[in-house]
Amino acid sequence: MKNIDAKTHVSGTSVYLDDIPLIQGTLYGAALGSPVAHGVLHQLQLEEALREPDVIRIFTAADIPGDNQIGGIIKDEPLLASDHVHFCGMPIAFVVARTREAARAAVKKIKADITPLPVITDPREAQAQNQLIMPPRTFSQGDTEQAWRECAHVFAGAVDINGQEHLYIETQGAYVVPQENNSLRVYSSTQGPTAVQRTVSTTLGQPMHRIEVVVTRLGGGFGGKEDQANTWAALCALAAWHLGKPVKYALHRMEDMAMTGKRHPYMADYKIGLDSSLNIIAYEVTFFQNAGAAADLSPGVLSRTLFHCTNSYYIPNVHATAWSCRTHLPPNTAFRGFGGPQGMFVIEAAIAHAARVLQIDAAVIQQKNLIKTGDEFPYGQIAQSEAGACWQKAATLYDATGWKQAVDAFNATHRLQKKGLAFMPVCFGISFTNTMMNHARSLVHVYTDGSVCISTGAVEMGQGVNTKILQVAAQIFSIRADRVKLNPTNTINIANTSPSAASATADLNGKATLMACNAILERLKEVAATALDTKADAVTIVNEQVLVNREPTGWDWQQLVSAAFTKRVSLSEHAHYATPEIHFDTVKEKGHPFAYHVYGTAILEVTVDCLRGIYKMDAVKVVHDFGSSMNPDIDRGQIEGGIVQGIGWMTMEEVIFDKEGRLRSNALSTYKVPDIYAVPEEIVIDALRSTADNLAIFRSKAVGEPPLMYGIGAWFALRNAILQFNPEADIPFITPMTPEKVLMALYSNKEKGIIQQHEATTSHLGIDQ
Amino acid sequence: MSDQLKNAEEYTSGTSRRSFLKQSSLITAIALAPNAVVKAAEEGLDEKIAAAIEQMPLNVTINGVKQNLKIEPRVTLLDLLRERLQLTGTKKGCDHGQCGACTVHIDGQRVNSCLTLAVTTEGKQVTTIEGLAHGEELHPMQQAFLDHDGFQCGYCTPGQIMSAVCCIREGHADSPEEIREYMSGNICRCGAYSNIVDAIMDVKQGGKKV
Repeated sequence: MKNIDAKTHVSGTSVYLDDIPLIQGTLYGAALGSPVAHGVLHQLQLEEALREPDVIRIFTAADIPGDNQIGGIIKDEPLLASDHVHFCGMPIAFVVARTREAARAAVKKIKADITPLPVITDPREAQAQNQLIMPPRTFSQGDTEQAWRECAHVFAGAVDINGQEHLYIETQGAYVVPQENNSLRVYSSTQGPTAVQRTVSTTLGQPMHRIEVVVTRLGGGFGGKEDQANTWAALCALAAWHLGKPVKYALHRMEDMAMTGKRHPYMADYKIGLDSSLNIIAYEVTFFQNAGAAADLSPGVLSRTLFHCTNSYYIPNVHATAWSCRTHLPPNTAFRGFGGPQGMFVIEAAIAHAARVLQIDAAVIQQKNLIKTGDEFPYGQIAQSEAGACWQKAATLYDATGWKQAVDAFNATHRLQKKGLAFMPVCFGISFTNTMMNHARSLVHVYTDGSVCISTGAVEMGQGVNTKILQVAAQIFSIRADRVKLNPTNTINIANTSPSAASATADLNGKATLMACNAILERLKEVAATALDTKADAVTIVNEQVLVNREPTGWDWQQLVSAAFTKRVSLSEHAHYATPEIHFDTVKEKGHPFAYHVYGTAILEVTVDCLRGIYKMDAVKVVHDFGSSMNPDIDRGQIEGGIVQGIGWMTMEEVIFDKEGRLRSNALSTYKVPDIYAVPEEIVIDALRSTADNLAIFRSKAVGEPPLMYGIGAWFALRNAILQFNPEADIPFITPMTPEKVLMALYSNKEKGIIQQHEATTSHLGIDQ
Repeated sequence: MSDQLKNAEEYTSGTSRRSFLKQSSLITAIALAPNAVVKAAEEGLDEKIAAAIEQMPLNVTINGVKQNLKIEPRVTLLDLLRERLQLTGTKKGCDHGQCGACTVHIDGQRVNSCLTLAVTTEGKQVTTIEGLAHGEELHPMQQAFLDHDGFQCGYCTPGQIMSAVCCIREGHADSPEEIREYMSGNICRCGAYSNIVDAIMDVKQGGKKV
């Protein structure tokens, strides 16, 4: 089935936040972000700004009637800075004017008197100074101390992983319209309507029932609008509350890039041990997460890094510690994969390190150590593994042996062009790692004409979740898809929602919808049974026809619905679904946190131009564990998009902050995201159709995040190509692998050895070194 | 922050030019009717005088409809379409000509409407995504994007489609390689690129007039 938004998307009539028709008298906001990354804020000089034409009022922390607090997990982030500033771009004041231009012009006239304090941008430095978001967490399994003695080979090294700008093409924004009885309607471009509702409620000191949050759709989210949409909604709400007027703020692209957090950069130290048969028997890793200036979602991201620190591999002895380090960057946040990709990159780096020294193909170690059904993850869950099946199918289907021979032949005959090949297995757990968030509700109404409308907490952002939910209802009722409509997400219809995140949205909201539809269907069957003098379990609905014992009755869906209404039977249902079986003990760091895992294997090929350092992605061929896809078109799109985004993160997207904590990659001219050229020339996706039962909706496994991590293989394929040109090349485990870095590696000085010391890995600081 | 936004805001605010206009309009006015205008200036009406003088007539045909407008010369075509004419199908992604979401046609040529001053369209024909279909019948490129799922979130889609139509009209859609070259100014963060190429190839090979 096609995406239900297809027609409006192609005709330009899909409504995003900035497209909502404005109410007369609407005012426009603009935020002043701190010009320095860390300092004491003494005072704001607002007079000149207030004299600007069309300026209505400038709001500061003193105007906040409730708590000046927007921290979700940890209460450590003010909405507006009051006495200290903690990152460049931290909102200090909010100007409201009659026009957007006037508001932005006035922002420039505000003078902030700030005494600068020392700035930390490096997570290791923050950790050394005990600047932590929370105490470190450690996952362990077996006994690594004992295991090192059994290892034939031990390798240790360091990794430096850069962040990633979300660059949703629709920037952040909010539009708040006052309602009667001290209520506010908040239109927000958010993945988390309830988070926006809670934040507005907290900052205004008003009960949540006065705050209605409405989301029709997002022009991309990718995690960037999970918690970071709250600020703009709360600022507009603050102004609307005081002024009694509608207030809108849609961020300029450069405001958005400068003021919002990104994917977390990580540094890490690893130590990996293998026995003489190449079994990985011990792995120790320490992660230094660059959380930025406030917690935001960093604790959750950190936990997923630990959950996925062994990727698809079974390692009997693991000791993994993660530090969430407070720096003076914008608070980093969710981004597709949510810390998992960083954890996976480090184990892949460790394996690549071992393979290079042992002079074998990394794929040999990878394949040998794939997790099997019955093996235990370091967090205690027992694997239902498809890792081996995906790998085997990929190797066979794509003729890995022949492919490798072809690459070897190419490299033997080309001096200035080299190809690299890499395998990238992925194992990703589905569910919010915070067990209490794994629930959802759906409200289904059947109208007397037989049409159906559905409200859920899911936010449509291109992932096709509303299409899947519609499919659920159409299938359960066995009615035409055009009888079903999805409503905009609204906190009045559905309360206390979890954000649309963790790849779990279709599962949670789809299951709730399934339950609601089944409840209505059962009542309808009772009505039919009574009217047709049979038993309810003899009644079925097939293609809008009511059957008894599979024989037509002459009744159709519409007639049945009408009959139910006249019999005063409820045609509405509000159902609640909570993922069963999951639990996690954060003291022992053991449990069963995931409803299921998604597995897959990608094989990637790249070609490097060894004179220039530029490269192209020749092919990405994937076998992906879909379970049983309920919408192959949408799922395929998610995989292709995830691969492109993952390759972007690993190769071209370079977030650059200077040592003063100022973002230098602050526009599309200085921050390169994949364009149409960046797509691999060939993408092949094959489904591993697994028959085992799972907790996914219609057994169609979640597909939002897992494919991003196939992109990690691009980094290692590039590394392998470089080594073909220069077997002594020094290729530190630093991302992204930009053409500049490839060029330096191609002609690197072999005396430097394989691993750069941390002191030298300051490439993320870019300029000013 | 303010440092980083400097270029963007100089572009949108046009402060110095506006001050010059205010001064020159006042000097002219003072020569003609000193007392009244000086009083007006004291009352802070200079901004209003400047704004009135800055309004320029604009006659442009947008999606087949003749528009007789008065606009400030600093207004971009994108803002005119979105803010004045409520044609919100054309999207603002970056406002710097870097993402392609605002692509429209002027006299059949594709342009970034965020980099086009509206006054430069005097006497011209502007087509936006809203003007592409014939009533309920989608333009072949719209239909192809629908058929090939050439989108995910949909935000870049109007710009992609407008760009794709011209890609064919310009004769730059003979191969996937050529399409990539001539569509490289339109960013899709969801990464629906391969479906976009398929959609354009489909229209090109179908031979329908675009």
